[in-house]
Amino acid sequence: MRLTRKVNDIVLCVRNLRTYFFTEKGEVAAVDDISFDLKRGEILCIIGESGSGKTATALSILGLIDKPGAIVSGSILFNGTDIAKLSEGKMRNLRGNKISMVFQDASSSLNPVLRIGEQITESLVQHLKLDKKQTRERAVELLASVGISQPEERLDEYPHQFSGGMKQRVMIAMALSCNPEVLIADEPTTALDVTVQAQVLDIFKELKNSTSVLYITHDLGVVSEIADRIIIMYAGKFLEMGDAREVLMDPKHPYTKGLVGCLPSGKIKGRLVSIQGSIPNLIDLPEGCVFCPRCPDAMEICRKETPSETGISDKHSVRCHLYGST
Amino acid sequence: MIIEKHHREKIKKNKPAVLGLLFIILLFVTAILGPFLTRDPNEINFNDKNLPPVGFSIEQSMYNIKTQELEVTERKGSWEHPLGTDDRGRDMLAMLVSGARVSLEVGFLATGIAILIGTFIGVVSAYFGGWLDNALMRFTDVIMTFPFFLLLVLIVYMYGPNMVFVILAIGLTGWTGAARLVRSEVLSLRTLDFVTASKALGASDPHIILRHLVPNTMSSIIVIATLSIPGVILAEAALSFIGLGDPALVSWGKVLNAGQDSLVTTWWVAVEPGMILFLTVLAFNFLGDGLRDALDPKSE
Repeated sequence: MRLTRKVNDIVLCVRNLRTYFFTEKGEVAAVDDISFDLKRGEILCIIGESGSGKTATALSILGLIDKPGAIVSGSILFNGTDIAKLSEGKMRNLRGNKISMVFQDASSSLNPVLRIGEQITESLVQHLKLDKKQTRERAVELLASVGISQPEERLDEYPHQFSGGMKQRVMIAMALSCNPEVLIADEPTTALDVTVQAQVLDIFKELKNSTSVLYITHDLGVVSEIADRIIIMYAGKFLEMGDAREVLMDPKHPYTKGLVGCLPSGKIKGRLVSIQGSIPNLIDLPEGCVFCPRCPDAMEICRKETPSETGISDKHSVRCHLYGST
Repeated sequence: MIIEKHHREKIKKNKPAVLGLLFIILLFVTAILGPFLTRDPNEINFNDKNLPPVGFSIEQSMYNIKTQELEVTERKGSWEHPLGTDDRGRDMLAMLVSGARVSLEVGFLATGIAILIGTFIGVVSAYFGGWLDNALMRFTDVIMTFPFFLLLVLIVYMYGPNMVFVILAIGLTGWTGAARLVRSEVLSLRTLDFVTASKALGASDPHIILRHLVPNTMSSIIVIATLSIPGVILAEAALSFIGLGDPALVSWGKVLNAGQDSLVTTWWVAVEPGMILFLTVLAFNFLGDGLRDALDPKSE
């Protein structure tokens, strides 16, 4: 009995996902052997630098990886069904309906020649088959729910009449229009200034308990504010995963330590630390641990063997040879 | 939707474009209402033949049967035939009005067909890419290299000079430019986030094409349509000029052809349709250029 309940609590279960891009220069492992669970009602943050495979992970879940990329292996279980193997038609019914996504750049994510109202109602018409009056009422409700004043009039305006923060809120309203079970947010606040960012984050916080959020970002400040659990991603691989508070307070992986060290904090005076080097070329990955060329604690074994996942506590695990032997 | 307020303001500032638009509107009104007000363009009246336009006069030598002498008479234009008559006494104004209808019909219908085909092929080609893109673009190249005027002559030769065939022939061969333009626009549009965002919200391919891609290329389509109408009108005139036009219809090309033999004496028969053709083509080109300047986002 207890076991089935526990399984039901997991909305999205990704296992050993590999998404490769087959370019002329060679194979790029954008997502390399990634597994995680998204529980009902939680906010799970994936943190990583640019090019670490965060967006590729998100697009893989939605089945939107375009050529020359492809999901090579692994499974993506959504409420028990493997959506990586679903047909395009069935997948389309899921997108925007059960799983939806908010993109980084709201200004280019809205079609400049269509009215806001027409764009919000798109997925309502597509998935819920509502009539004109109902969709309009629902659209007004949605705009109001993301804090846009005078939603009735705003519906007939064009994207260029909206500010950046409002556009992003419209995008969130669109993504939420069909009450999805999973919302994937790909750096939704990166293009916004800090005050607007806080307002948008509030919308995500209020979502808790109704929609599970997979929040992709490179901003640890945002993470500390909203995340329940976090995953640290680097060069297509997970380096550390666990409860947000625990990982941020007590980072184990040298990369996570570096990231946390990069954050300015009020307590410690002195220079901000930065991580030496840059993310490796994904075509030509180093052998062994992907982080070892930049790692301050690299050992002999790091250059030869890829570290396996080691549990620190029941809510915290890391992939690093420093903790493997114990 | 596509031509917004600030576009209209911009067009208003462009004098040639406004003049072009006014001329085209005038031409439209004339073509629609004119035939009810003018005489029958096919009415032959030899008493009134070779009358000059109002305000002009010519000297005409006529053989008088009674006196058996050559008399030189002066003939003045009258308000009964404001633009004069041709060598069979047909009213020039009536013929030009009737020709306007033919020219606009051909221009708009053939361009409409061409734009529809071109947009469809361009958008499908760019959106789906791969082998389909290759196949469609090579097909476009083949159509492009085909001597279209020769095809027109061939069709008229085979099926007889029928306006429907002329329109279809121009429409079915004239879409290549539109196809290439739309394809190049969609190639850059489809990488934009709103296409991915729409996909992520569960939109189907036809939906993305019709709701997102085509409306975004609309401004270019309007411009290329406006600029290709005069070419089509000229093609029809050329066809009529060489005698392959529809014999049942009076068109500018035909009148122009009839007038070219007597350019020295009854010059107005050729000059009038020539002028109106020239002005129409100029008006469409001015308007097209104005629209391009106004709608091109890069010029903002």
